[in-house]
This record gives sequence, structure tokens and C-alpha cells, in this order.
Amino acid sequence: MLARPPEPAIAFDAIRVDLGGKTILTDITLDVKPGEFICVMGPSGCGKTTLLRVVAGLVQASAGKLSLFGKPVQGPSRKVSVVFQDYGRALLPWRDAAGNVALALEAAGMPRAEQRPLIETLLAKVGLKDHAHKFPGQLSGGMQQRLQIARCLAQDPEILLMDEPFGALDAMTRQQLQDEVLALAAERNTTVFFVTHDLEEALYLGDRVVALLPNPGRLARIVDVPLARPRNQLATREHPDFLAMRRDLFDMMHETH
Amino acid sequence: MTLRNPIVFIGSIAVVFAILFLWWLASVTGTVSRAFVPNPFDAWAALVRGFSRGDLLPQTIGTVGRMLQGWLLASLIGVVLGAAIGLSRTARDYLQPTLEFLRPLPASAIIPVAIALMGLSPGMALTVVAFGSLWPTLLGTIHGFAAVEPRLKEVARCLQMSGPAFAWKIGLPNAMPDILAGMRLSMTVALILAIICEMLASQAGLGTAILLAARAFQSSELFAGIALLGAIGLVSNLALRAVEIRALAWQNSH
Ligand SMILES: Nc1ncnc2c1ncn2[C@@H]1O[C@H](COP(=O)(O)OP(=O)(O)OP(=O)(O)O)[C@@H](O)[C@H]1O
Ligand SMILES: [Mg+2]
Repeated sequence: MLARPPEPAIAFDAIRVDLGGKTILTDITLDVKPGEFICVMGPSGCGKTTLLRVVAGLVQASAGKLSLFGKPVQGPSRKVSVVFQDYGRALLPWRDAAGNVALALEAAGMPRAEQRPLIETLLAKVGLKDHAHKFPGQLSGGMQQRLQIARCLAQDPEILLMDEPFGALDAMTRQQLQDEVLALAAERNTTVFFVTHDLEEALYLGDRVVALLPNPGRLARIVDVPLARPRNQLATREHPDFLAMRRDLFDMMHETH
Repeated sequence: MTLRNPIVFIGSIAVVFAILFLWWLASVTGTVSRAFVPNPFDAWAALVRGFSRGDLLPQTIGTVGRMLQGWLLASLIGVVLGAAIGLSRTARDYLQPTLEFLRPLPASAIIPVAIALMGLSPGMALTVVAFGSLWPTLLGTIHGFAAVEPRLKEVARCLQMSGPAFAWKIGLPNAMPDILAGMRLSMTVALILAIICEMLASQAGLGTAILLAARAFQSSELFAGIALLGAIGLVSNLALRAVEIRALAWQNSH
């Protein structure tokens, strides 16, 4: 007997999104497999953020169907967590790092006694072990983003949504965090939906790269990235396949422009 | 009142002494009549006398009590009502025009209304003090709850936080700086109104005391009372400021 294929983690079925009387996204059909790391890229204004917000349940699709693990999306859920680009605004400035992580645990109704060891583990995991009692205002940009990631991990999400999470960080920190996120996602087999406008970042991180085109936002290409894991900042980026895919996608984005 | 610089701090003390010196100079040289302005030493003596033998202590307690009761009532109503209004867009849309109309009314304007309704009773004084000092706290609270960063509202939605949890964990801390600043302003208004109510309704307190002293041309007692009022304002302000610094430590930690 044939095993039933697993439900896709995210199933977009002919999704259309209208905002302010304008069609922002149209005809998005795509299945994201459980545990897959999918990167969405495209020029500014093509609707990447909007698509992510639809998955988060923050924006409702105007037409089509969106299901997560076979269940239609009704609104935001703790099973889905969002790492926002503007980490400075997404953290509670009046709570220290430990308190910010605790917010997610409190929301899940975890007793305080159980929170403590878990917060320690999570902060250690993102390299903030020695900063548990600092306020966000005392942390660097990279540390703040790590803190937001720790809070998202505290939700123990099935799906992790990331909207240009490293866009505001310097190149060094950015590469470090890319590798950390890859490791964390692999460890928990989390499905990651990662938005970026950086083609190289998309190829470096993703199992597949989805390229969108603007006006209205629509699928242009879906590219498999069969590069070996774990990825390596030098070896992967110098790999001939990486360079070929980069060229290919680069040309595609510029032709259709 | 931050000790930013010791030289500035010493300078500010020097200013106080300079003013006291000029006051003393004016009274001993006879520039102004003793009937209106006493010698600072006489005023100090009157203050000491008032506390040791006179009614100054119960009068001070009366005034401070009236001020604190009205202020606490105003703070409670202001924070609860302000949170409810600040959290609801609809409530704000309906109530904002009314609040904008009521806010600039001088607090003393409601005293005749309160007297007409309640007579010259302690209840009237409490109502006037509470009503008049409500506005800074109420409006500060509304603003603080309404001005929550939209991103944080989304974080709360993503975490499926309940309404009360959002109000308590995000709305209230976000509003805290505005609430405390409002409460500090409210305290000043409460002191002013407590004094006015005492003068109008002759209730035992510093307001009545300085009014009677003025009528009897007892300038030492009058100035002692005024200095005492200033001290009450100063101390209450400093106390609240200390609370603010402690409660809002996260703001200064950058
Ligand atoms: N709430 C809204 N109402 C009306 N139009 C909107 C709304 N949100 C987004 N848009 C429009 O939808 C389009 C896509 O926006 P979106 O933020 O999804 O793009 P993006 O691909 O994330 O861009 P960027 O790379 O700059 O972040 C833009 O033209 C934007 O003006
Ligand atoms: Mg965007």
C-alpha cells in the first residue's frame, strides 16, 4: 500500500490579495513541504511581505485557499511565529532579554517555574547567555535580532516566518546569523519561510528559491537548490552550481524588468 | 532635580540663599512694610511656633490628606478610564471631542457647580480636587495606551494574547511614562484645589490658616504657611520623581 504523502506545511492555492483596491498578489500556488527552508525573493514592492503576512494570518487572502498542515488559516496562531525585520520595534523595551523570551512562554500559559530553565537554554542557543538581564536598548542590533529569534523559538513553532530578518545588519553579523538560523531550523526540522531581496542569501539558505515579479506580485520561477548541507559561507558560495544559479536568477530578474 | 553636575547643584542652593538674603534685606531695610512681608527669621519662628504650640500640624495633615485623597481617587479613575478609552479606537473616536472640550476648562470653574450641588462639605472638596486633578492623568493614560507601537500589537496577535494580557503586559508598561508624568502634574493641581476649597468652604487646613493670617495682618504666620505649601509641593514632586526613576529604569539604560 502506498503511504499517503504528508500534508504540505504551507499550501497556497490560487491566492490573491487585494489591498486598498489594488491587486497586490495574484495566482500564488505553491506547496511548502514540512521541514523545508523556502526563500522568497523579488524586487521591492512585489509583495513578499504581504505574502508572509498572509501565512502569519495577519492579512486575509481575497481569493484562494491557504492551509497550514492541511488546516485552513483562520488567523494568527502560536504554531506560526514571525521574525520581523524591525527588531527594535518588535521587542518590549521595558523587559530585559529574559523577560522578552518569557512573553511567548506566558502567552502559551507555561507556569513560571518551568519558564526559567527554558529561557536560559533559549538565550544560550542564540548566544545571549550573558545578557539575560539587559534591556533591548542595551543590546546591539544583531543581539536584538537574536533575542527576537529566541522569543520566536520559545513559541516552539511548526513554521518560522522571517521577513528580511538580517536586512539591517552588517555583513559579518548577517553571515553569522544565517548559519545560526540554518542550524536551529535543521535541529528542530522547522519549516522556514524566509523573505529576502538578496539573491545570494536566498540561494545560500534555501532548499528552494521562489522568485516573485511585481505589478501585480506573481510567481516567476521556483528553483531547486540542491547544494550540500550543512552549507558553508565560503565553499557553498564558491560552488559552481551556486554561481550558475545565481547568474541564471540574476538574468531572469533583469530581463523581465 | 537631577544631580547632573555638583557645581550646578551648589549653584542652585546658592540661588535659594540669595533669594532668602534679598528677602531679609528688604524686610530689615524697611523697603516693604512688616505688615506685608516679615523678616525670614520671624517667619521661621512662626513656623516652629505653629508646629510646637499651634494648630499647624493638624492643619498640614488636613491639607495633605485632602490633596492625597483627591489625587488618589483621580489617579485611580484616570488610569482605569484612560486604559479603557486608550485601548479602544471606537471609544476614542466618540469621547475625544468631549475630552478636548473639558480639558482646557480651569479646574476652579467647577467649584461653584460643586458647591451648588453638594454645599460646603468635605465631599464637595474631595469631588473638586479629584475632578480637577483627573485630567493630566486621564489624558496621559489615554495617550500612553493608544500609542502602542503597531508592531507590538502584531506581536501580541501572533502570540494570541488575550485582551487583558495585552493591556497588562504591553499597554500598561507602554503607558507608564505618560501615566507617571500625568500623576505628577495632577498632584500639583490637587494641592492648588485643596487650598482653594479650604478657603472657600472654611475647612481646617493650611488654606484657611493663611487666609486668616492674611486677614489679621500676621505676615509671619502667612509666610510660614506659604513656605509650608511650597515644601509640600516640593516633597510630593520629589517623591513621585523618585518613583518614576525607579519604575522607568529601562528608559535610562541605553
Ligand atoms: N495595507 C496596505 N494597503 C495598501 N497597499 C499596501 C498595503 N500593504 C502593502 N501595500 C502595497 O503592496 C505592495 C507590496 O508591498 P510589500 O510590502 O508586500 O512588498 P515587499 O515585496 O515586501 O517590498 P520590500 O522589499 O520593499 O519590503 C506595495 O506596492 C505596497 O504599497
Ligand atoms: Mg517587505
